[in-house]
Amino acid sequence: MLHHLVFTVLFLLGLYTVIYKNNLIKMVIGLNIMEIAVFFWVIAVSDTGKSVPIYHLNKFAASFNDPVPQALTLTGIIIGASTTALLLTFIIELNKFADTIDSNKLEGLNE
Amino acid sequence: MISISILLLIIIPLVVAFLIPLLDLYNKLLRRYLVIIGGVIEISISIYIIISYFSDLKAGKFFLTYYLGGWGPPFGINLVMDSVSLIFSSLISFALFFIIIYSIGFIGHHEGKYYVLFFLILGAMQGAILTGDMFNLYVFIELLTVTSAPLVAFKRNKHATEAAIKYMFYGVIGGLFFFVGVILLYFNIGSLNMAQLAQHFAEIENNMQLTIISIFLIGLLIKIGIFPFHFWLPKAHSACPSSLSALLSGVLLKVYLYIFIRLFWIVIGFEFLLEFNIASFLVYLALVSSLFGHVFALQASDIKRMLAFSSIGHIGMILAVFLLNTETGFYGGLLHIISHLLMKTGLFLSTGYLLQYTKSNHIDDFAGVGHQNKGIFVGFILLTLSMIGMPPFIGFFSKWYIIMAFLKIQHHFGAIVVVLGSLSAVFYYLRFIAKGYEKIKLSASDLKNEIYNRPILSVFYREKLVTTVIYIFVGMIILTGFSFRLFELPLQEGIKELINPQNYINLILGG
Amino acid sequence: MKKFLVGLLFIGLAFLLLINFAELPEEKLITFSLSDYYIGFGLEQTGALNLVTAILYDYRGFDSLGESTVIFAAVSGIVLILSRKMLPVSSHGLSFIVKRTLGILTPFIALFSLYVITHGHLTPGGGFQGGVILAAISIIFSIVYGSAFDYKRYSPELKTTFETGGALVFIIIGGLGILFDGFFLDNLDFLTHSPGTLISAGSIPLINIGIGFKVGAGLAIVFYSMIQKTFGEEF
Repeated sequence: MLHHLVFTVLFLLGLYTVIYKNNLIKMVIGLNIMEIAVFFWVIAVSDTGKSVPIYHLNKFAASFNDPVPQALTLTGIIIGASTTALLLTFIIELNKFADTIDSNKLEGLNE
Repeated sequence: MISISILLLIIIPLVVAFLIPLLDLYNKLLRRYLVIIGGVIEISISIYIIISYFSDLKAGKFFLTYYLGGWGPPFGINLVMDSVSLIFSSLISFALFFIIIYSIGFIGHHEGKYYVLFFLILGAMQGAILTGDMFNLYVFIELLTVTSAPLVAFKRNKHATEAAIKYMFYGVIGGLFFFVGVILLYFNIGSLNMAQLAQHFAEIENNMQLTIISIFLIGLLIKIGIFPFHFWLPKAHSACPSSLSALLSGVLLKVYLYIFIRLFWIVIGFEFLLEFNIASFLVYLALVSSLFGHVFALQASDIKRMLAFSSIGHIGMILAVFLLNTETGFYGGLLHIISHLLMKTGLFLSTGYLLQYTKSNHIDDFAGVGHQNKGIFVGFILLTLSMIGMPPFIGFFSKWYIIMAFLKIQHHFGAIVVVLGSLSAVFYYLRFIAKGYEKIKLSASDLKNEIYNRPILSVFYREKLVTTVIYIFVGMIILTGFSFRLFELPLQEGIKELINPQNYINLILGG
Repeated sequence: MKKFLVGLLFIGLAFLLLINFAELPEEKLITFSLSDYYIGFGLEQTGALNLVTAILYDYRGFDSLGESTVIFAAVSGIVLILSRKMLPVSSHGLSFIVKRTLGILTPFIALFSLYVITHGHLTPGGGFQGGVILAAISIIFSIVYGSAFDYKRYSPELKTTFETGGALVFIIIGGLGILFDGFFLDNLDFLTHSPGTLISAGSIPLINIGIGFKVGAGLAIVFYSMIQKTFGEEF
């Protein structure tokens, strides 16, 4: 139950940051908090108290955690990193033209 | 039937995209030939598939599949091509081939990265359409977002960068919702294969079903650009160069529509949308979105913005007619997807040609372009007529079937929205046509300005390429208008499949 | 008042998320689910001790291809947006002691990243993780020696070659799968030795090496594009 609670709090914190903060970089950080909340939740749910899904000696197959969510989360993390890099690039570029990263001052983002 | 050709549809564009930077290090002039070769290979694979499996299509058992890594479903990733994906996949190959040729004449700077991202988009579109695995679909959706966002910012000014940031925020949040949906499906059912998910979706608890459906809905409605989530669309589709607007507005939206159809008719099953009373609500949402798009298009003073708003209108209409879940509805929707793809792509491409002589996209600068480029402007008018829904162009027939679908089940509000949309389209297109034929007097400084700012297209072969592509699209809408029955066979097969998703499950899982 | 309403909305959303997500069933609906199959047959069929790697590069190798394409696309986009023919900002770097220490440490960092890349099928790690460590070397160099140093030593052309080369290696190995086993990205079984040794698990280590170099070069390109001086900016 605890991880559901943590997930909810983190996810809403991220959503709050994306909606209410004016600094574009803070908004990107909020987006990352949302992503990390989801990844954390996936890993936490898939952990059923068994062993890491890597074979060592003298371990029975039945005692492994589910490896699929871990693989999916790895993919998700890398995609999240790529999108974050792209967003930051756009913000660098926008700062060059508009000389601000305050979304209130950029009328193009608010229409 | 296992066939490697559907794998090549995805891999060839990726290989071309990976080769372009290497070739650029050696010789930048060879890039153009590589790009054309890539496009030709892609379209010839599509033609090969259609020709060699035509008898199967006729017999109603067209079904191609491929197992990646040799792991058959449900344990590996499989690619699937059935009648619906055949329509979308070959349309995309066709449209993108001509946009590539147009780009060779049209894009003047940063061509290397442009083609890299362009071919990645092509590969991602084919992948999103052909994959039979939910998580693979998520990867391709994210690839579509990541590749199209830099292209939105391609013009590298303040306006374009703002549009890209907005596009990216919406895109990432939509993708995140999709990810959560896929993971929820996995935790409940224990599989990622679409067919197996479809088989077991009914056994999930009711509450969880509703949660999964609503999460997927939020994610996909953001991507398609339906009313409460459409704010990114007009800006993103009007900020980029015209060839990319054609790609985003004409082709990419259809890919998301296809994903919507695939998800809600085959994986989840339409009866659950009916069970939770979401379907009728969605029909009204899509129709309101359609109305919004047309109304905003009326007041837009920027031609590309107007075309983008009109896209919202048309996509909302298509979505609404699909959600009626009737046979005529599917027919009209699929036919309008084909016709809207041809018309919107052609319109954006011809607009790009017309706008090269003007200072901005504003309506006031549009004055007099009809006199400067007579042939292309006539093509532009024909395309807008098709958009409005004039016979004998294809736009008329597809809109006709959509209205018939609404009237058949006594859904009068839908029919009224379609007719109102067409009426408002008459006004907003006529405004621009009238402006284009306005007589203007050029002052000496204007003339000097014009000669000084000669566009890049003035090189002879570039202009030739661009105009040829535009005429091909104009020819296509006239030809398909007279012979839209050509699509009858794949459309009917596709409709059969949408009505009976069990068939798909049986074909993949083998009984 | 508005804040209160929005707060209420957030609490409602939290409640919905909590109620609905906490309802996840303990058992999956399918009796023989995906994870059961991978855990049951993973070692036998792929020869990789690390089941996560076995899933990433063998069972779901196409996902990894898409994933590395996402990185490739992001790098291309960033270079497209931030391409201004300007040398990066240069400084003289940190003190002599730090430079010397880094000089001694660099081979070990490189060795560690190579270890993580090549042992992906045996221990936690793999191409993506090792590639990030590889990129870290380049980033530390720019901090310690000043950014022009690394730029001169490893030119952008070299990084581009590594990046696209890594992606092409993935596709070529996939193509070899068609030649030898009949399916794209099929595991090249004839390379398999007894599980647990370094050269085992078929083509998984090879794909790891390709992806490792690709990710390392790609992230280095991203870093150097981002620290470039922009016009009108004061440093």
